[in-house]
Amino acid sequence: MILEARGLDCAYGPTDALRDVNLVAGAGVLAIFGANGAGKTTLLRTLAGERRPDRGSVLLDGVPVAARDAGRRTRIGVVGHRSGLYGKLTVAENLEFFASLYGAAGRRSVAAGLEAVGALDLANRRADGLSRGERQRAAVARAFMRDPGVLFLDEPFTGLDAVAASALEDAVRDRGRRGRIVVLVTHDVVRGRALANRVVVLRRGRKALDCEARPASVRRILDLMGLHRSPSAGDAHDGADVSPPEQS
Amino acid sequence: MLRWAWLVAAKDLRIEFRARGRILAMIAFVLLAVFLFAVSLDRTRVDARDMAGPLVWLVMLFASTVGSARAFDAEDEDDAFRHLLLAPVPRPAIFLGKAAANAFLVSAVATTAFAAFAVFLDIRAPGPLAAHAGVLLPGVIGLAATGTFFGRLSRHSALGDTLLPVLTFPLLVPVTFFGSVGTARLLLDRPWSEVAGFVRLLWAFAVGALAAGSLLFRHVADD
Repeated sequence: MILEARGLDCAYGPTDALRDVNLVAGAGVLAIFGANGAGKTTLLRTLAGERRPDRGSVLLDGVPVAARDAGRRTRIGVVGHRSGLYGKLTVAENLEFFASLYGAAGRRSVAAGLEAVGALDLANRRADGLSRGERQRAAVARAFMRDPGVLFLDEPFTGLDAVAASALEDAVRDRGRRGRIVVLVTHDVVRGRALANRVVVLRRGRKALDCEARPASVRRILDLMGLHRSPSAGDAHDGADVSPPEQS
Repeated sequence: MLRWAWLVAAKDLRIEFRARGRILAMIAFVLLAVFLFAVSLDRTRVDARDMAGPLVWLVMLFASTVGSARAFDAEDEDDAFRHLLLAPVPRPAIFLGKAAANAFLVSAVATTAFAAFAVFLDIRAPGPLAAHAGVLLPGVIGLAATGTFFGRLSRHSALGDTLLPVLTFPLLVPVTFFGSVGTARLLLDRPWSEVAGFVRLLWAFAVGALAAGSLLFRHVADD
């Protein structure tokens, strides 16, 4: 399975969020880094089909797919900034509802999703009584329960304690090894790079780096994000324009 | 399509019966309106049955607006609507499901309104209840479908829920008019043949509102 973005441009009014972003993601974990406002979430939402690009296209296995293509939507899972749970329903009811929308077998897939992130204990608790981290675990379980081919994770570690974060890391790594495409947006460069097979750095809506994860040092990623203030990095990145992306 | 609509409607009603906020607000409004009407009406000069038809429909209009304004509260509370839209569910099915749940609540309001009139004004609905239901059903569907569509639309506006009555009331004038006349005639024990024309118009509005809402909902649902 291949996810590809070609020449994506997105703007919010006069502000460019993405400019000419090209991207190819195969099986494994692709980590997208960037400072606040770099365009990470816009890129993720565009790849997931939630937002139509102003220019360019998103292809899954070479086929251009529209946001409302039902067949495509069964193949993706999304975890966003917010949990997306109904507060008055229990976690199990939430997951069963979403599983039924996808035509998935109810309780079995719900249990599998909760087990994947070590959240079986949350099943019968109402979502409005959960802590931030517990809601996040339930949201991840919802995305994992169908074992979709493409997973989009936007800051999935937010609010998780060390144990839950570790369980999620294992689950993400496992999905990547089993041939799934996992697109991970995170501010946590150390964790993201350790999980990823490939990294992309966005800066002001443009791709500043797109390479294998191993040769990309944390310091270099932070430099390109404009967050590491070494003398050379400061000289190189204080200008208005962003250099052409580095590819390897 | 209908399976998805049913799933969405069942989920909405389950949430509503746990939260109870929306239905209680609607019923409280109905009871207050009927009570105020009952205590202020001079029944030595006006026959309450002459006024009950329009009042039932006016109360339903306002109550359905209150309900529609809150129809998307649970969806937006923690961004659940985003995940509903990400699922492979046709937008018309989401609209129909939410409109069905809304219609159920408006039906509860209509039933409460009739019961309140019977208690406070001692009005007994003459003729078979099926005839009254025959007038109410298409009206409730029309109110719920219109309210659901504009309830979502108003969420995109900076004015929020305050925009909802501004948008819906002009459109719902035909429903309240046809419904008021139909119900009033039934309360005055007039034959069904004098009501049937209004019921056909109510059904035409209901079907039109469902069709237009189903077709256009994606424009107000998606970003």
